[in-house]
Amino acid sequence: MSGGVTSAAISARPSVLRLVFRDIAAAAAASFLILMVLAAALAPWIAPVDPYETDLMSVMSPPGGDYLLGTDGQGRDMFSRLLFGLRVTLLMGVAALVVGGIIGVAIGLIAAHWRWLDGVLMRLMDVMLSFPAILFGLALAAIFGPGLVAVVIALSVATVPLMARIARSTALVVMAQDYIEAARATGMGSFRLIRRHLAPNCVAPLLVFATLRLGQVILLGSALSFLGLGAQAPTAELGAMAAQGRTFLFFAPHIAVIPSLAIFGIVLACNVLGDALRDALDPKLRP
Amino acid sequence: MRRLLTALCLVAAALPAAAQTPRNTAVLMREIDADRYDPVRSTARSAGEVIYMMSDTLVSMDWDMQTIRPGLAQSWEVSPDGKTYTFHLRTDVTFCDGRPMVADDVVYTIKRWIDPETRSPVAWRAGKVKDIRATDAHTVVYELEEPFSELLAQLTLFFASVVDRNTVERLGANFGVQGFNGTGPYCWESWTPRQDLVLTRHPTYAWGPPIFENRGPAQIERIIWRVVPEATARLAALQTGAADATQYIPNVALDQLRRVPSVTVTTQPNYLWDFYMAFKVDKPFVSDATARRAMAMAINKPALVRAVWFGHAQPAVNIINPVALDYDAASDALVPGFDPPGAMKLLDEAGWVLGSDGVRVKDGVRASFLTYGINTLENQRQSEIMQQALRRIGVEMRIQFFDATVAWGRMATQEFGAVFLSYPYFSAGDALSLYFPSTQRPSPNRMNWNDPQTDAWLAQARSATDPAVRATALANVQRQLAEANVWITTAREQLFVGASNRVTGARAHGLYGVGLYKALDLRVVR
Repeated sequence: MSGGVTSAAISARPSVLRLVFRDIAAAAAASFLILMVLAAALAPWIAPVDPYETDLMSVMSPPGGDYLLGTDGQGRDMFSRLLFGLRVTLLMGVAALVVGGIIGVAIGLIAAHWRWLDGVLMRLMDVMLSFPAILFGLALAAIFGPGLVAVVIALSVATVPLMARIARSTALVVMAQDYIEAARATGMGSFRLIRRHLAPNCVAPLLVFATLRLGQVILLGSALSFLGLGAQAPTAELGAMAAQGRTFLFFAPHIAVIPSLAIFGIVLACNVLGDALRDALDPKLRP
Repeated sequence: MRRLLTALCLVAAALPAAAQTPRNTAVLMREIDADRYDPVRSTARSAGEVIYMMSDTLVSMDWDMQTIRPGLAQSWEVSPDGKTYTFHLRTDVTFCDGRPMVADDVVYTIKRWIDPETRSPVAWRAGKVKDIRATDAHTVVYELEEPFSELLAQLTLFFASVVDRNTVERLGANFGVQGFNGTGPYCWESWTPRQDLVLTRHPTYAWGPPIFENRGPAQIERIIWRVVPEATARLAALQTGAADATQYIPNVALDQLRRVPSVTVTTQPNYLWDFYMAFKVDKPFVSDATARRAMAMAINKPALVRAVWFGHAQPAVNIINPVALDYDAASDALVPGFDPPGAMKLLDEAGWVLGSDGVRVKDGVRASFLTYGINTLENQRQSEIMQQALRRIGVEMRIQFFDATVAWGRMATQEFGAVFLSYPYFSAGDALSLYFPSTQRPSPNRMNWNDPQTDAWLAQARSATDPAVRATALANVQRQLAEANVWITTAREQLFVGASNRVTGARAHGLYGVGLYKALDLRVVR
């Protein structure tokens, strides 16, 4: 009898991953993202032609025909450029998220642990939060010249305060837990405490936020590239590709629409997946 | 595509914003605004297109871009030595404020233009002036140190527009920003930068160039010059009648636009606006004349121009356009044709060895250079196509384009190896003496071209009184530059002016790239 209770208890607490994939939309979003990452990673092997090779005889040819997704304004294969563009866009987003995330989480945990630093750090974060990322990107591009590095810095800086706030609020709840008190009572040092007990217990909400944020960072990065501050010619980048196609929107819509749809899909998938993760990780929402 | 255009048209028509323009007003669209409207302080076409309507020049240019016609001067004589020009002014000319224009105003205008304190970037266009004086109220004597064979043509450009001294002195640095007072068919009313510049009719105007059918005042009471940066928005506005005319039509849309019944497109066969990439001949790699020749051979100009301009521009050969005065056909034969294997062979023979990264190297110097330019659609597209063509022969071309506001400053530096530009001109002498005298370094002689022989030929052409001598000297320069491959001239653009069926008489002129010139025949018909 007791065995039956145990198995019922286990089946009542399925793994987070299984919970996420129970949601069809989330499963589709995750599969889409995996597909995109694979396409980006394998771009040099999948791309039918060199993404920079120009075919001046078939400029702006529509999808179908010789080129699967048509060609752009310079006669370059859209499919190959899309694959290489995904690479740059995803890398840009992930790099900004990792850099911004690490710095932000560190600041948040420090603020939560050493309370006397809280005021200063959080006011600093408020200042950073009040600064629009696009404006900051423009300023960086003006100083260092346009390029992917400037975009990654701008996006990282925009991510830091958000990550710091989430990390801090989560850490404050964790800091009030008995096991932290117990760890302290054993004489555990601050850094060890943060590493062993505080940080691991803050992961869930940060993971949810990071997933949601990835979509926003990609959108923002594409916007900066669209404005000409990011990837420079002839680098394929989804935002820059959309910008190039904009002029021909009414004549060869595929040039702007295809990269725009790719951005749309990635951002949507990140959002759906982030929501599903939150539901799965929140004990109150569990079945 | 056509359905899309129609759809666009319907959408725009349904918008209440496409409200009716009043019967007495025409809206002209352009892509960018100018920083100011002072004739001697701006070289922008966007300044010229408004200044031509607000003021007049001593002489005017016919539709053929070669014949000089009367303007404020009804006649003129040139002394046998070519050094003294006597202009006889019309007696009925008034400024917009009603004050009669006299010879002193012309003298003041030209002196202000060439005064070193004005620091006009185009003062050289006035020639080497010895003295300018008014011998009576309606006669101006224009005396030169040495003959200047192109003086009259230069005086048709808007830089020489006659302005009112009182207004210039009253407004100081704000002349052309807060107000303007000229003798043109239209008068300054208001300017909201990067939005609208409003002009009103000059009611007593009767001294327009004889190339227009209308010999009286302008036929429209108000002209609104509206800045519409987006090409698709301009197209929609033109088709719905929300705006009346523009010369800023994207090449991709021209064929469709011509089939739209509510739009008329006129063109100007004698238009001179060329696109080129110029090498800075003393920078690493591009200083090698053989390498420059190889690069010229790597680019398939006809295919490039067809792809970028959609068949609405002509592929160029050497620097000067065949329709320009003193064009030398023989120099075109000296420019190498499209031959990538030949280019590879040439580079191999010159010792440029292909490296593992696909870029050639010689004596530790990489076959690589940086190009600057203004960030325009044509520049983006042609440069990326050329970049790929050069990559195929083992040459790396790095591209850095800037917004128009900062580009001019960057292009006056020594930071780059080549530059993408386009420009208007009216003759071989005009183009060559703008760009190639050693005294014009570092800008507009961004090539750092410094050759005493070129300088001598250009000086000879400038001061020649015999057209044959001038043509020979300029032909020599054209051949020399063709052999040196200093420029890769890519395209010769054409001028197209699109007008809605609300107006008639929008004929494409094209002097200094300006589409409508004085627009005296422009009339609202519905």
